[in-house]
Amino acid sequence: MNSIPDLRVILIDDNDIDLLLHEKLISLQQLSRTVLSFSNANKALEFLSSNISLPHIPPTVILLDIQMPEMDGFEFLRSFDTYPQKIKSQCSIIMVSSSLDFGDISRTNANPLVVRLLKKPLQSKELKDVIESIFKDRD
Amino acid sequence: MKNNRIRILYIDDEVHNLNAFMASFRRNYEIYIANSAQEGKQVLKGIDVHIIIADQKMPNTTGVEFFNEIKNVLPDPIRILLTGYTDVEDIIDAINKGHIYSYIKKPWDEQELHRTINNAYEIHAARKQLKEKIIELEKTNDELNRFIYSTSHDLRSPLMSVLGIINLSRLDNSVTDPNGYMNMIEMCVTRLDGFIQKIIEYYRNSRLELEFERIDFNNLIRDCTDTFHHQNTSINFNVEVDQPVEFKGDTFRISVILNNLISNAVKYQKPEEEHPTVNLIVKVEPHKATIRIEDNGIGILSEHLNNIFKMFFRSKNNNKPGSGIGLYIVKEALTKIGGTITVDSRFGEGTQFEITIPNRNEFDS
Repeated sequence: MNSIPDLRVILIDDNDIDLLLHEKLISLQQLSRTVLSFSNANKALEFLSSNISLPHIPPTVILLDIQMPEMDGFEFLRSFDTYPQKIKSQCSIIMVSSSLDFGDISRTNANPLVVRLLKKPLQSKELKDVIESIFKDRD
Repeated sequence: MKNNRIRILYIDDEVHNLNAFMASFRRNYEIYIANSAQEGKQVLKGIDVHIIIADQKMPNTTGVEFFNEIKNVLPDPIRILLTGYTDVEDIIDAINKGHIYSYIKKPWDEQELHRTINNAYEIHAARKQLKEKIIELEKTNDELNRFIYSTSHDLRSPLMSVLGIINLSRLDNSVTDPNGYMNMIEMCVTRLDGFIQKIIEYYRNSRLELEFERIDFNNLIRDCTDTFHHQNTSINFNVEVDQPVEFKGDTFRISVILNNLISNAVKYQKPEEEHPTVNLIVKVEPHKATIRIEDNGIGILSEHLNNIFKMFFRSKNNNKPGSGIGLYIVKEALTKIGGTITVDSRFGEGTQFEITIPNRNEFDS
């Protein structure tokens, strides 16, 4: 992914092992040099809102888990939707879940903020293809 | 034990009737009295009675009129009408308008009235119990729904992590595994996940509302065969779809049925078979679709044919891993959508399933 040198990936998942797995997957595939992990969706929101003061917000891919305690993926999306366009336009959200629940799947697909829903376990090729397609569309 | 006594409201405009009633029954029941419908309503505002007995002939409001007025607001108390006149019109009105439980003639026979009161109370108690059971069932239903949801997440999520770790270990070559233990772990986890998915499928089938959509069998069958082709590339699928008319049905259940039957046809092949084949023949008619799934696999022992649709039944003539739930789900799903299934099998030669599914095209539009 040399075409987007400043791409960063934000991982939001309450499961530490999955965070580690996804970090490793991204570094092995050299998808991005910057990976930020959050085990709590609220913390990720705080971090994102602090970005507003940056002169330039780097292109960001967010891998978002659905079921999490405190704030789940859908609640994160609802809050994130109220963020300024300056931040939102730089972020692409990929939902990642092991859910087989029809409700979850259709809610995810219906959400305009979500680019894709990927099933766990995350396949490195699948992830790479989705990220590539996101930035192909941008150009 | 005051709370366990039967509470009765008796309404009559004649005071000596009220007194006589009180005298005869107050030892057995908790009695409230009123000498007009108006006063009766006042009593009912404060007291939750089990049984209401009202005299028919009262000035202003008759007993039937009174029952007719309160039955929507207070449907629970059992209503008994008391009257000195055997007027057929009154009785008809009492039943049709007042929804009364019983009709007692004045002067009352004490034994008869006791019996009537006790029977009425039994009905009241039974109805109350029924209501409680309904609430309990709704709660259980709700819990079951949450159980399915947490099964689909809490049980699967660690399994998916295990699969993720195995994938990663292959990607970065960090594990020396000359005996292939990683592959074995992966197989076991995949099997366990398959079983969890079957359980979810089963519950979803039993709980989800039916939804009729247009179905193109060519697409549906292609989706199924694509999945299984990855698992066993040597298998040859012959698909024949004859769909001259539109078909409407429940997509979720029909694909569950097809997936399970095709999965079995693929799984129970003979290891030595040179041309493992699965034939899928679909014929759609205005009223139904008939689907045949034929394989040249190991077949089913004839003494087992009667049991294959039972939950957790597994035929002993094979050593393939299976949950014993697949065909049970097929049967359950077919029952839901009003379909039928027949099976024909020769041990060592192959199995044919034939299912028919009603076409909802014209009925539900």
